[in-house]
Formats: sequence, C-alpha cells, structure tokens
Amino acid sequence: MNRSVIRFILGNILKIEGILMILPCIIALIYGEKEGFSYLIVGFISTILGLIITSKKPKEFIIYLKDGCIATSLSWILMSIVGALPFVLTKEIPSFTDALFETISGFTTTGASILSDVEALSFCSLTWRSFTHWIGGMGVLVFLIAIIPLSGGFNINLMRAESPGPSVGKLVPKVKYTARLLYIIYFGMTLVEFLLLILGKMSAFDAMNTAFGTAGTGGFGIKNSSIGEYSDYIQWVVTIFMILFGVNFNAYYLMIFGKLRKALCIEEVRCYFIIICSSVFIIYFNIIDTCKNIGEALRLASFQVASIITTTGFSTTDYELWPQASKTILVLLMFIGACAGSTGGGIKVSRFVILIKTMFKELGSYIHPRSIKKIKIDGKPVEHEVIRSTNVYIITFVLIFALSVLLISFEEKDLTTNFTAVAATINNIGPGLELVGPTQNFGHFSVFSKYVLMFDMLAGRLELFPLMLLFHPTVWKEFLYKK
Amino acid sequence: MFKKSNTAPKQGLSIIIVGCGKVGLTLIEQLVKEGHDITVIDKRYERIQETTNLYDIMGIVGNGASYSVQMEAGIENTDLIIAVTDSDELNLLCCTVAKRVGNCAAIARVRNPDYSEEVVYLREKLGLVLVINPELEAAKEAARILYLPTALEVNSFAHGQAELIKFKVPVNNILHTMTVAKLGHSLTNDILICAIERNNEVHIPNGDFQILSGDILSFVAQRKAARSFLRQIGFNTKQVKNAMIIGGSKASYYLAKELINTGIEVKIIEQSKEHCQLLSVALPKAIIINGDGTDQDLLKEEGLEQIEAFIPLTGIDEENIILTLHAKQVSNAKVITKINRLNFKNVINSLDLGSVVYPSYITSEAIIAYVRARKNSLNSNNIETLYHMFDHRVEAIELRVLESSSVTGKALKDLNLKKDTLISFINRNGHIIIPTGNDCIAVGDTVMIVTKQTGFDNIDDITK
Repeated sequence: MNRSVIRFILGNILKIEGILMILPCIIALIYGEKEGFSYLIVGFISTILGLIITSKKPKEFIIYLKDGCIATSLSWILMSIVGALPFVLTKEIPSFTDALFETISGFTTTGASILSDVEALSFCSLTWRSFTHWIGGMGVLVFLIAIIPLSGGFNINLMRAESPGPSVGKLVPKVKYTARLLYIIYFGMTLVEFLLLILGKMSAFDAMNTAFGTAGTGGFGIKNSSIGEYSDYIQWVVTIFMILFGVNFNAYYLMIFGKLRKALCIEEVRCYFIIICSSVFIIYFNIIDTCKNIGEALRLASFQVASIITTTGFSTTDYELWPQASKTILVLLMFIGACAGSTGGGIKVSRFVILIKTMFKELGSYIHPRSIKKIKIDGKPVEHEVIRSTNVYIITFVLIFALSVLLISFEEKDLTTNFTAVAATINNIGPGLELVGPTQNFGHFSVFSKYVLMFDMLAGRLELFPLMLLFHPTVWKEFLYKK
Repeated sequence: MFKKSNTAPKQGLSIIIVGCGKVGLTLIEQLVKEGHDITVIDKRYERIQETTNLYDIMGIVGNGASYSVQMEAGIENTDLIIAVTDSDELNLLCCTVAKRVGNCAAIARVRNPDYSEEVVYLREKLGLVLVINPELEAAKEAARILYLPTALEVNSFAHGQAELIKFKVPVNNILHTMTVAKLGHSLTNDILICAIERNNEVHIPNGDFQILSGDILSFVAQRKAARSFLRQIGFNTKQVKNAMIIGGSKASYYLAKELINTGIEVKIIEQSKEHCQLLSVALPKAIIINGDGTDQDLLKEEGLEQIEAFIPLTGIDEENIILTLHAKQVSNAKVITKINRLNFKNVINSLDLGSVVYPSYITSEAIIAYVRARKNSLNSNNIETLYHMFDHRVEAIELRVLESSSVTGKALKDLNLKKDTLISFINRNGHIIIPTGNDCIAVGDTVMIVTKQTGFDNIDDITK
C-alpha cells in the first residue's frame, strides 16, 4: 500500500476543505454573524494542517485501485469530521454525533437532517450545509484531480472509487481534463439554475442554497417546509433542474459538442425519462382527487417524483398523506435512483437496465438452453465483468440494507420507519415515510442507529465497496504493520 | 465557453493509436510522457482495460478500421492516427478510412515482405506520412553492427554519412586513463565523443573527462574516419564474413537479404519445413537448414564454433537470450540479440549480452521524431532522426535549421548550451563537420544534438 500517497491526498483534502470554508465566512460577514468565527478557525487550522501534511511530496505517485479506494473512503470520513466541527463550535448542533450525521448527510448529498427547526440556524451554517451538497455532488477527489497535478494514469483509480456507476469512462483522454470538464458543466448548470431562481423573485441567499441543494441532488432545505412555500414557478424550475442533474453527464458533454442525436440515444437516459414520465403519470391520476386543480396535481406529482428518483429529497407537500399506490411508487423510485455519472444516488438506472436485460437473457435461455446471447447497451456488448460486478453490487446492497434495518429495529420503531430510514440514507435521498417522512427528521434515533445510518450514507455514496474495503483485515495489516 | 476551456489547456496533439501490442504500448508510454492526448483502439477488452489503468489515456474497444469506431474515437478532431495492429492490411485500411473521414496524418506499420518493396508507392498513393517496418529496421540495425562487429551499436545519421558508434573500451587499451581532450590532440580530431556510460551512469563528457577501461563510449564520426579511429586504437574493423541466423521470421529474411547483398554468407536455421521452402525461394543464395535452432547439437554440427556472427531471431525473447549466452560461451562470434519485450530491461542489461536490438523502440523512435516535429510546426518537418541511447537516458536528435534564430551565425563556444547537451556534428550541404568551438550553425544546416534533456523539437531549445 502506498501510504505516502494516501497521506498526500488526505492533506490536500484538508487544504481544499479549509479553503471552501471561506464561503460561509463571507456569508457571516455579510449578515454580521459571530458564528462565522467558528468557520474561520476550523478552515484556517485545516488549511495549515493540510499544508504541513502535503509539504513532503510522496516518492511515487502510484495509486493502485486498492489505494484509490482507501484514499477515497478516508477522505470522505476525514472531510465529514472536519466539516462537522463548526456546527459543534457554534453550539447550533451541540452533539458531535448529530453534527457528524448532518455533515455526512450533506456531503453524501442525502439531505437527511436531525434538526427539527432548520430556520433557527445562522445564515452561514445554512450555507455550509447546502454547500456540502454541492461539494459532495460531483466529488471532492474529482475536484482534486482537476486542480492538482497527479501524474500517471493511476488517478483514474481515484475517480473510479468516487464516481457513481457500474463502469467509469472518460470524456477526453486525460483524467485531469475529464474532471475539469465535469466541473465546468456542473458549475455552469448550477449558475443557470441560480439565475432562473433569481428571476422567480427568490432572494439571492435562498436561490444560492437551493441551487446548491439541487445541483448536488442533496435536499437540505433552508426552510422548515423545504421548497413548499415558494412560488409555482420556482417549484417548476427546481423540478426541471433536479431531473437534469440526475442525467448522465456524458450526455451533456455530447450535447456541448453538437452530438445531440447521440446524447438522446443513450439508453440509460431514455429509460430514466421513461421511468419519470410513467411515475408522474400514475401518481398524477392517483392524487388528482385530493388536489385543488389539475395544475397543482401535476406540479406536486412531478416535483416529488423528480425529487425522489434523483435522490434529492426536497419536498413541496407532505406525501405521507397521499394514497398507498403513490407512496409505494415513491419508495420504489428510491431504489432506482438517478443515472450513472450524475450527481444522484441510488442503485442507478444503468444497473437496472443491465439487470433487466440479464433477466430476459436468463428467461430466453430456458427456451433455448444452448443459445448464446450477449447483452448490449447502446448497441455495444456489455462485458461479462460488468454484469458480474452489477450482480454482486445488488446482492451486497441487499445484504447491507437488511443488516442495517435489523440493527436499527431494536429501537421499537415501526417497520415502515426503519425500512424507509435505511432506504432514504443508503440511496442518499433524505426523507422516508412515517417517522422519517418529509415533515419529520432523524433526530429521534439513538446514537448507535445514527452511526449505522451514517455508514449507510457513505456506503451508498461511494457505491459500497470502497468503504467496505476499510473493514478488510488485509488492509488493516498493511496499514498498521508494514514499513 | 465550454469549447474554449476544453481546447485551451491542450498542448499536445490528439493522437489515435490502433492496436495495443508491444509497439502500441511503447508508443503510448512515450507519447503520454510527452503530453499528448491519446485514444487507443483495440479489439481486446482486457487489453484496453489494462492499458487505460496504466496510462492516462482513453480506450475504445472495437475494430480500428471501422468508420463508427473511428468516429467514436473522435477522428474528426484528431491530428494523427497510428495503425500498429498485427495485420498490415488492417493497418492500411485504418489509415485509408481515417484519411477519408478526418483530416489527419496517418502512419501505418507494414511489415510483410510482399509489401516492403512497394513502401514508397503505398505511402504516396495512400497519402501516408510514414510507413514503418520494425522488422526491416531491426534487420538494418543488426546489419550495420555486423559491418563493424567491434561496435555494440551503430546508428546512422545524415543519410548514412555520419555514424554514431557505441563500443566498450577493453582492458589495457590505449584509451585507458586518457582524457577526452587529449584524445582529440594525440589521436584524431575527426571524431567526437558524445556520451560515456560508466557504472550505469551516463555522462556527456567535457574535455577533462578521463576515459577508463570498461566504459561504454559513444562517438560520432564520418564512416571512414570512424573506421580509421577504431583501427588506431587497435580494433578490428573488418566486417564479418559469415553469419548464422536462428529462426526464419520476417526480420531474418530482411537481415539475410541485406547481408547477402554485401557478400556475407548466411545460414538460416528454421523449424518449419514449409517456411524453409519459402525462404529458399526468396533467398536463393542463403543456406537454409531445416531444424530446431535451439538444439545444441545441431548448432555444433552447423559450425557455431567457427561462425563469425550469430543472430538469434526467434519470436521468443527467452530463447534468444539463452542462445546468445550459449554462443558467447562456445564461440568468438559477434552476437546480436533481438528482444521484443519491454519490461525486465534491468535484468537484460545485467546479463551483458553485448549488442541488443529492440524492434519496437526503433519503430517508436521514428514515430516520436515525426510527432515532435509536427507539434512544433504543422507544415515543416525539422526533425530528421531521433535515437534514444542508453535506455532512453540520452537522446540523439538530428535537427534541420530552417530559419535564422538566436543560435545561428554564432561561434559555438559563445552559445550558452543547456546542461548535458552537446552539438556533435553539423551537416552542411552533405559535408559533415565535426565542430570545434569556432564553428557556427548556419541556416540550411542539419545539426545533431546529443542531450540528456528530453523534448527538444527546435534548434532554439538547445540554449538556456
């Protein structure tokens, strides 16, 4: 294991996080809040610490897959711990566990909160909360790759550990430019949403935080009612941008370079839109009786579908009150999640496409036992390796899911709560049903359950295996004893 | 906004490499180092997977000659396509398709003897910038060494007028403890020592540098001057009279043909009878033996002990190495080893095999010379030749001086050259000048530079 490179990466993460904390400091300065000092202190110390750690460059920049996964997992844990400190220092979230839960929920773009009154937070803390979504959405290591020169092809292993999806491709030959391109698209789209929200007469502060929350498909609202009290126009803008941020970023890359037709032909993106449309359609007819008019029903249905499938977790209404069929659809959408290569979480549409095709292939093999058929996506054969890893992913997902439900069930809460609490965290959504519904929060769980859910959030964001690798005995051995 | 930011940081060319074999990998390794954007196409998924894990490049699985695969690789915006798959026909097709679709330069590897005679025709008619034949180049390099068997390596510059010769200083040679400056005074000043390797370290020597026995010297000189110098220091400069080649590969054919043309007797040992018959048709003057070249008794029977040159050219590196070691033990023959694989170079170096030929490096050097020249300016080709010496630690590069610049018209001693950089000869209208401090570079010259720096693509690069 290349420990010096991991150390170097962690040091850089500290530096970047320290620098990013300037944003809440600026907000504190604008609104004259003394909470800003906490961010200033933490940011300053973290930057200095990062500078000290990175002052010695590692001898070799070789990052094997193992090192990449470990560096990524450790980075996310470190980043969350540092990010939680200001909340504790400002005494807005006095318990460290709660603060950590809130920060992990932010970075993993989950948006599950332990706060019952969000509006009581200072402006700078609200900004930091939403900003963590934006940082976590595209990933810090991708950002790291974009700005610091890590030579060699090995840094694809870092990106692979952090980017969602069954197989990670590049847009352009060099990882660095791929990462830059991703961030440019990301930044550009966030900016466009911000401007559109401003046009809808939203205040700049609200628009900024909402844009951060949407871009990272996070879901921390800055109002207790999430997006509910804003105008219809704003709700539509947020709906559309949630859906857009759930699309595979490869599609945008193709569009920018004028290959619109090719972008629209991506099978995953098509399926994604088909799923959205059909879900909206069903829920619309399901809830139309309870709504004031057709427009409202359509708005509520599409907002909620977009919010859940992209794993954002904003809400405009208490869908707890909706009919069972609608609620069930929403729970199912939680698992599907957004496209691979987007900022969304969940199992990812592409994995489901692969799985369903595998299922049909298996079915076909009962009719023609000796037939040979290769699964194709976008007209290209999918390698056996990818199918295998998808299957293993699903099984691991189910196992972790079941184990987590079991672990938190000792609290005597009802099954729906436990089930959707785990579903909402492992898929990085935020709100679930019953006691963790859109009007509720996660504050009532015990400390132990909170750590279980934190693990789920990180595991879900990093796609299970990088985080699980930390628990492998071989890794401990190499980490501790080998010199 | 997006378009601009994407192209702005790009300094290198965008290059598509079709075929991810040994030559493909060498090219990728070198070109990535020089900062180009590379997309590689290969049919084998695992191969692409491995390569993209190792290098910062994009990989596409598919047939490189297919239009849609080339489109996916972005042929429209590509500057150069290099086709180095196993099949000559596929390589040519790749380039032909690419030339029609995109506006890019094309390089193809063509190694079948059937086409090798028609290379010029192919290149012109298909509009290729380069046609490379690693086997032929390897054979030529081997032949050059056999003409001067005391040398470890002979590279030719300035269209064969000047040679860069590498040899090992034997024990008790007159060169022992002689400084480079004294060599110039007392022996000859027609040669110039470019680089000296001692204990695995390469030095670009100045006048005070003292030569010791066991050093590996690289010097540049005109053909005749080189030979007379070697005679002066007590070397035999006669070319070999006969040679034994093991294996009937393409490289063997090219080498045998070259050697026979200069009157060297050639004996080829090849295992496949069918192949032997083909060879006997193509090379009527050679002695073709059907048998296992790795059979010790057969080698003895065919006179390995008396032969003057022994060149194992089988497809398996390990066999070649073993045969070389065996030959060194039982005979005084000059041995040249061909090695295809690129890793374990340290092990190979420590074996003391003498002359080693790496076909894939020869190929990649020619391509890299082209790419560098092209990067420098799109229209003119100012790099004549490029050689990597001493495991890529030293570059010998022949540059054409096309326009006047800060280095032209000045006495060389007044130029502030970069560290470990040497001007080894100036070719003025076909006349080779081994320069002294008073000579100067003029427009129209070609200049050979030996340097430990890398990435020179213009004559101005030599000064600080």
